[in-house]
Amino acid sequence: MNIARVHCHDLAATAETHGDTLRKNGQIEQAIKAYLEGVTAPPAAALCLKLARCYEQRGNHAEVCRWALAIVDSGDDYSAWQAGWALFQRTAAKAGRQVLRSVKVALLGSYTTTQLGPMLCLAAERLGIQVALYESQYGQYQQDILDPSSKLYAFGPDIVVLAVHEGDLHLSDYSQNPEEDVRKEVLRWTGLWKMVAERSRARLVQHNFALPCEVPTGHLATRLPGSRYMMTHAVNAKLGEAAANNVSLVDCERLSALFGKQRWCDPRYWNLSKQAVALEALPLLARHTAAVIAADLGLSRKCLVLDLDNTLWGGVIAEDGLAGIKLGQGPDGEAFTAFQDYLLKLKRKGVILTVCSKNNHADAIQPFEKHPEMRLKLDDIALFVANWESKPANIRTIAKTLQIGLDAMVFVDDNPAEREIVRTFLPEVDVIALPEDPSLYLRTLSQYLLLETSSLTAEDHERTDQYRARAQIMELEAAAGTIEEFYRSLRMQAIVTPFEASQLPRIAQLIGKTNQFNLTTRRHGMAQLETFVRDESYVHLALRLRDRYTDHGLVSVMIARQQEHVLDIDTWLMSCRVIGRTVEATMLEHLCRRAAQLGCTALRGTYIPTQKNAMAADAFAKHGFERVGTNGRDEIWSYDLAAKGLIANAFVTSVHTWESADGAS
Amino acid sequence: MELHDRLEEVFRQVFDNETLRLTDEMTASDIEGWDSVAHINLMFGIEQAFGVRFKGNELADMKNIGELKQFLAGKGK
Repeated sequence: MNIARVHCHDLAATAETHGDTLRKNGQIEQAIKAYLEGVTAPPAAALCLKLARCYEQRGNHAEVCRWALAIVDSGDDYSAWQAGWALFQRTAAKAGRQVLRSVKVALLGSYTTTQLGPMLCLAAERLGIQVALYESQYGQYQQDILDPSSKLYAFGPDIVVLAVHEGDLHLSDYSQNPEEDVRKEVLRWTGLWKMVAERSRARLVQHNFALPCEVPTGHLATRLPGSRYMMTHAVNAKLGEAAANNVSLVDCERLSALFGKQRWCDPRYWNLSKQAVALEALPLLARHTAAVIAADLGLSRKCLVLDLDNTLWGGVIAEDGLAGIKLGQGPDGEAFTAFQDYLLKLKRKGVILTVCSKNNHADAIQPFEKHPEMRLKLDDIALFVANWESKPANIRTIAKTLQIGLDAMVFVDDNPAEREIVRTFLPEVDVIALPEDPSLYLRTLSQYLLLETSSLTAEDHERTDQYRARAQIMELEAAAGTIEEFYRSLRMQAIVTPFEASQLPRIAQLIGKTNQFNLTTRRHGMAQLETFVRDESYVHLALRLRDRYTDHGLVSVMIARQQEHVLDIDTWLMSCRVIGRTVEATMLEHLCRRAAQLGCTALRGTYIPTQKNAMAADAFAKHGFERVGTNGRDEIWSYDLAAKGLIANAFVTSVHTWESADGAS
Repeated sequence: MELHDRLEEVFRQVFDNETLRLTDEMTASDIEGWDSVAHINLMFGIEQAFGVRFKGNELADMKNIGELKQFLAGKGK
């Protein structure tokens, strides 16, 4: 194994040297070929840069961007990132790239952020987020926020990042009254949050405070609530408590410890140019900040696709048998159970677990059913695929069955060849390269950033169960005769109510991330939702759904505004997990009822087409609305209540409390 | 690679200029874009590429190619 590895490394190095020679001689195409042969997974930063530069000479903009962004995967080498950003920045506009989201980010710092800005942009672009960046003047974060006519508000940010450091805290070295001082300092920050929320639509991303490595009171500090050290701890804790749903925190305290506090801040660079975070730590900080932003935008990944042999246990079940695989006992066995425990924790926070294994199904399920040390049970797996098809084909099937996008999936496999195949054929799927040593599996997975979530709701805990139910339903659908029979067989019940305060986080989450069945894709934040709830001219409906298999939780949201005799639908969306089950009609049924109560004679709806919501294009037509006009690409639809009567759905029973009929326990 | 070429490589990367040529007489004012931000990136790039550490005051003052090379040569690079 080691010999092969050295050999492989040599080959890569030779290819790169060969490429350098070709490039010097002006043979760019040949140089590119040589460099590509030297690409490893993950690719080396220097090679990414060379490839990007070669492609630039050839005028291939798309490949320049691709290799400039690949530097993010290559590691956290600041100089390479900086060079990669320069290349990317001058090429991106020419490349005609597809981006998932475009956002305006305001970076407000208490220290010099000139270097952090580009790093953040590069890390975000790697995740498909195009960033228009505004930077406050050095240390001017408060002025920018406090002054209503500041450039910050003129910029109109979607996201405000508060990149601040411990030195900026208004705390003394020692306080006689620490509780009061901490309270005041927390109030200063939450006051800034509040002001941003009042004056803009921006979400806040706050860096918390990395404790410094220099502690004058030494170990005694931990016994002194009045020490600056302990007060900083307290501020971090209280900011976490105070952060409502429109504020996300980046845990810089943890990142600095992870990175090494002695290197996190370099006093030479602080003294020279007020870099509170060392340049070498900026890529890490940027990646984590970008991941938190991605989670806020609903771009986190949802589903892990797990291999079995040598991934969940050591050895090959079909050859080694139940007694022969390594699990629970011995150093490797312990590592595999620890890895499984971690997967279970991820499942509990809402990550969907699936299995994709080249195995006979009967062999593959054996450990799940019979091995005493298995932590994962079959119930934990939303979809279990073990056969001899190719992994890309199986991953497509999994995506289709669970009705999630390939860009929501992460592939976890110990086998480099399988990983390469998936990378090649399914570039949308993220691939985690497990290291050779199973002891390091857990850590490798824990460092994958796109499983960040911006809030935890009750629904998250049950997600795998819901998707498992969906997979079962797909089977049922195949068996059932007519579609009507299928709908009836689900025995669906819905509870539809006005928004309740406790539901708002989940509603904001749905509004923030639903792309497909979303008629207007208006991303209202928490503050906006609270206004709707207070304003009597608004009708707001939240729909919870149950069927014989599972409780789907809160899955659909509607907001409409009464304008004299018309009820105008501002927002209508539905989670993709319940698409194709007539839930739309139930939402309209309830809207009609409210309209009738309010004395309205018509419903009005708007469909705003986006790249992702084509599936909702016929939502109005399907329920008897008529298209009455257009506004650019937007379509205006109308439903005449007086002439057509109330819409009703025979397949979903609307209830006030769950009825425990037949399995819907 | 010779010290001169390695240093040139760092400059080319930091200033995003593949044709940049260094001479010993050059100072910050001779190279386009060598401002305070680029200076920080440059010093960091040299530290990483050569595995050296400038002292705080050196970090601020190294704005002359000949001097830089002398410093690096003195460190046995």
